[in-house]
Amino acid sequence: MTTQAKPKYVYGVTPRTASALRGTGIRRRRLHAIEDGQLAAIVSDAPEGDIQAGREELLTHARVLGRARAQGVVLPMRFGVVMPDEDAVRRELLEEYRDELLLQLREVDGKGELRLRAVYDEDALMKEIVEAHSDIAALSAALRGRPADALYYERIELGQKVARAVEQAAIVDLSAIVDALEPLAVAVQVGEPDHEHVAANVSFLVEDAQIPAFDQAVDALGRQNAGRLTFKYTGPLPPYSFVELPAHG
Amino acid sequence: MRSFWRRQATTVRAATKTGSRSSPEKDQSKEEGGYIMATSVQRPGSAYVQRSSSGGLYEVIDVILDKGLVIDIFLRVSLVGIELLTVDARIVIASVDTYLRFAEAVNRLELQGSESEGLPQLMQDITEDGSQSKARGVLEGAKESLFGSSDDDEGSSDDDEKSREGSRSRAGAGRRSK
Repeated sequence: MTTQAKPKYVYGVTPRTASALRGTGIRRRRLHAIEDGQLAAIVSDAPEGDIQAGREELLTHARVLGRARAQGVVLPMRFGVVMPDEDAVRRELLEEYRDELLLQLREVDGKGELRLRAVYDEDALMKEIVEAHSDIAALSAALRGRPADALYYERIELGQKVARAVEQAAIVDLSAIVDALEPLAVAVQVGEPDHEHVAANVSFLVEDAQIPAFDQAVDALGRQNAGRLTFKYTGPLPPYSFVELPAHG
Repeated sequence: MRSFWRRQATTVRAATKTGSRSSPEKDQSKEEGGYIMATSVQRPGSAYVQRSSSGGLYEVIDVILDKGLVIDIFLRVSLVGIELLTVDARIVIASVDTYLRFAEAVNRLELQGSESEGLPQLMQDITEDGSQSKARGVLEGAKESLFGSSDDDEGSSDDDEKSREGSRSRAGAGRRSK
């Protein structure tokens, strides 16, 4: 058996002192650690061929890392990293990036990623927009009661004005959310909205000890925006948004 | 509105981590591969915020695919269908469909103000639901086809499905509040 030659799927990197790994990873291959110096990579034997980004594979990746974070500190890999063999994991990941990995392990130790999405209630948002923009109210009133297909371009014009107003509203709400929560976080990563009603899609890196206070601040935002914004709050997760490997020659 | 939130708040999420704040109940039956999985009830005090410890796939897919450490030459993944998920949101927003839908939403709003509540309100809920699901169709349809819809044996699929239903019915629930 040449275990050395087996390709390895890599989940993340932990300190070498991390607790023993149990359970299985993608395609139910047994999890194990590849160690080098003070570092350990969480891996399992990679399945043959390409890794499919299917539901089960993605969830498994997230669960392995969520569990590792629950036991200590972990630097999560992006989904889909496969290295040719154990030796490559040791040399081309753990040795090649040793200093960066150790530094980032220290930086994220005792912290978690909290993700917050704020999504508008459409009716509440439209009501605010009509009240705040007299041109939109006037244009809408002019179109009302007239046959829709005869006013195609006018409706597009109205819609464009509304879309701009939605973007402005999102800028205001995003700033308010970030301003309220940033003081409680170590780092903030503002993401792109993933559909037109999203006001904010933000990740925060937060000290474990600060999380109860962060919870309360999120709750306060929820209360202040009741009826107009829905907040979806997830975490603490492994710090996916706050780790990075620099490009090496 | 409130009743919707309450329904969400009682949703029990499958979580990968135990978290220092929650007291998890062990549940080994759901997880593949012999993992011990913590099932943590959503954190308390979430009348205005939908919370979960680890999120369903729906909540974490973009970080798993776009964030985290990566050594590009070793990234070996077949991303069938994924590109639909990462389409730039600005493209979605700056589309004629969106403009027409916004125009419709504003118009509907003013109609609502000028008519008495009752049957028109009901009719509006129906059309609203239709346009809502159409509007969310691009991304969520893609996610649905990727992750499967429901009746999946995965622990968190129910949660994903519920949160999708929840977001569709949110607008309606708001108007029906008494």
